[in-house]
Amino acid sequence: MSFSLSTLAYKNIRRKFFRSMAISAAVMVVAATLFSVTTVMDSVETSLTRGTRRLGADVMVVPANSESKAMASLLAGEPSTFYMDRGIEEKIRKIEGVKKVAGQLYLKTSRYKCCDTGDMFIVGFEPEHDFTIAPWLAEALKKPLAPKEAIMGRSITAYIPGSSFQIYSELITVVGMLEATGMPFIDNALYLPIESFRGMVETTDNGTVNVFDKLNNEISTILVQTDPAYAPRRVAIFIESQIEGVKAIVSEDVAASVRKQLFMLLRSILSISVILWIMSILLISVVFSMIVNERQRELGLLRALGAKRTDIFKLIISEAAVLSMAGGVIGIGIGGLFLYLFREPIKAALNVPYMWPQPINLVLLVLICLFLSFLTGTLAALYPAVKSMRMEPYAAIRGGE
Amino acid sequence: MLEIKGLHKNYKVGKDIVKAVDNVSFGVEKGDSIMIFGHSGSGKTTLLSIIGGLTKPDSGTVRYGDTELWSLTDNDLSEFRNRRINFIFQFSSLIPTLTVLENVILPTAFNKAADKHRGIDAKDLLFMVGLQDKLGAYPSQLSGGQQRRAAIARAFINNPEIILADEPTGDLDEETEAEMLALFRKMNVENGITFLIVTPNTDIAGQCNKHFVMNRGILTPRDMG
Ligand SMILES: Nc1ncnc2c1ncn2[C@@H]1O[C@H](COP(=O)(O)OP(=O)(O)OP(=O)(O)O)[C@@H](O)[C@H]1O
Ligand SMILES: [Mg+2]
Repeated sequence: MSFSLSTLAYKNIRRKFFRSMAISAAVMVVAATLFSVTTVMDSVETSLTRGTRRLGADVMVVPANSESKAMASLLAGEPSTFYMDRGIEEKIRKIEGVKKVAGQLYLKTSRYKCCDTGDMFIVGFEPEHDFTIAPWLAEALKKPLAPKEAIMGRSITAYIPGSSFQIYSELITVVGMLEATGMPFIDNALYLPIESFRGMVETTDNGTVNVFDKLNNEISTILVQTDPAYAPRRVAIFIESQIEGVKAIVSEDVAASVRKQLFMLLRSILSISVILWIMSILLISVVFSMIVNERQRELGLLRALGAKRTDIFKLIISEAAVLSMAGGVIGIGIGGLFLYLFREPIKAALNVPYMWPQPINLVLLVLICLFLSFLTGTLAALYPAVKSMRMEPYAAIRGGE
Repeated sequence: MLEIKGLHKNYKVGKDIVKAVDNVSFGVEKGDSIMIFGHSGSGKTTLLSIIGGLTKPDSGTVRYGDTELWSLTDNDLSEFRNRRINFIFQFSSLIPTLTVLENVILPTAFNKAADKHRGIDAKDLLFMVGLQDKLGAYPSQLSGGQQRRAAIARAFINNPEIILADEPTGDLDEETEAEMLALFRKMNVENGITFLIVTPNTDIAGQCNKHFVMNRGILTPRDMG
């Protein structure tokens, strides 16, 4: 028959069940906030850096008066339409530091006017110039995309490859699907060659209008890939100074400014949880001092029966560690559940292409939060543990009388 | 086997100095059964605590064979207590969260050695003190006398060389006291365990081979005929 110190620690935890629960609960609250906030921060960070990289363009040229509309489209995938002269595309091609140029034309579908599905974001692109869409094809197409053929973003549920849909007078067939990118702009849009608009006829009260005629000389966004030798910001300045009426948005800056705004908010939440953390360490420390005082006599008896100083230390620390780890595990669970249940409102509130951190980051965050939880209990119990381990056995036994 | 020389231990209480143990010297042979009696406050518990390695004397030596107890490191001292000494405390000394059986085997938890179970089986010990029906009971579910008997059972678990017993039969009725004293005698004779028993009266004088009186910290031999 044998008996180990961990049994004693376990029984001590059970002895004052409510108090043990309270200690765990304190750590739980801290772990839950810490985990959810850092997870959101990490998600925002990854989705911004990855997202802007995924857009594939270093500079995005849009009509000068449509900057905010364009940002909403590019970052949050909100369907919106804005147009400028298509001739600009050729002008940009000649600007110093510009490597690749691809135009995109945006259309928003309307169930009443044109199409069989409403509020769909349709992007007309130039397959011959494109450098942002094709890399995301889940499977390479068997032949180049022909007019009236479309590729769909991964989040579109209305169609599958092979299905067809109506835009104005034309029947379009979906022939391919993109990988999930986490960027709503890419995931929620339908892509078809700009040429597909040719011959589209819109029927209005005043008769029929050739849609492509209307859009023939229009373009919404011109995506620019810069020469690595030139900083995108410099190229943007070249573009704005040489072409009237356009705004050249630098991808890096978009991410940076959004990140700055969001992190200001998240950082204040984070500092609150850090304060919470410190307070809970102090609180648990007080509780553990009480526990140790209460058990002074017992600890003295253990010493008399042969417990080493380190045994006493381990006994107290392991009790604290178990309680705070339990709190940490539950807290992380609750934090994760919270993020999962409220993912849509959170996405909406942050208004960014939000997604979960990469699995490796998620694992890392869980481990960090677990370690911090463990640290909470052990730090809090450190002083009481050292104090009681240093006590003379006889004094401890007498002191507890 | 045990040589005590010139032990002093003073306590400062306010401005007064209490000489709890005052120049105590005596020797103990293996198999001795020694009785120390004295009034309340005469320093008996303090003396036992010094001999048991629980509190450091101001001066003097406690030598077990070749081992000078108070020059051991704290770790070695703990191990010494765990392997070679055991105690019966004056007051209730069971751990409230542990069952009677767990309390008895508790000392083995601190012993990493392979021969940790060299003593008598815990259940047998509890049988010897008449607690075979209370193995799973918690201390709070026992009477004072039953708790005392459990503590007595625990004193034998590590098969110690010496048991330091501080008023070990204090809260027992006469009959149970006699049973426990018989157990001590049996352990003394059969297992060669040395006993150092502190008592406020001379009831147990008969079964001890050496007798001392303690008065204001001073220990003097007493011939009990
Ligand atoms: N830690 C302490 N601090 C101050 N005084 C102490 C301390 N321990 C013991 N004393 C004093 O030392 C003296 C001896 O105490 P001790 O407990 O050894 O007596 P005792 O003989 O065991 O008494 P009792 O029979 O009542 O148990 C007493 O006067 C006591 O007040
Ligand atoms: Mg005493």
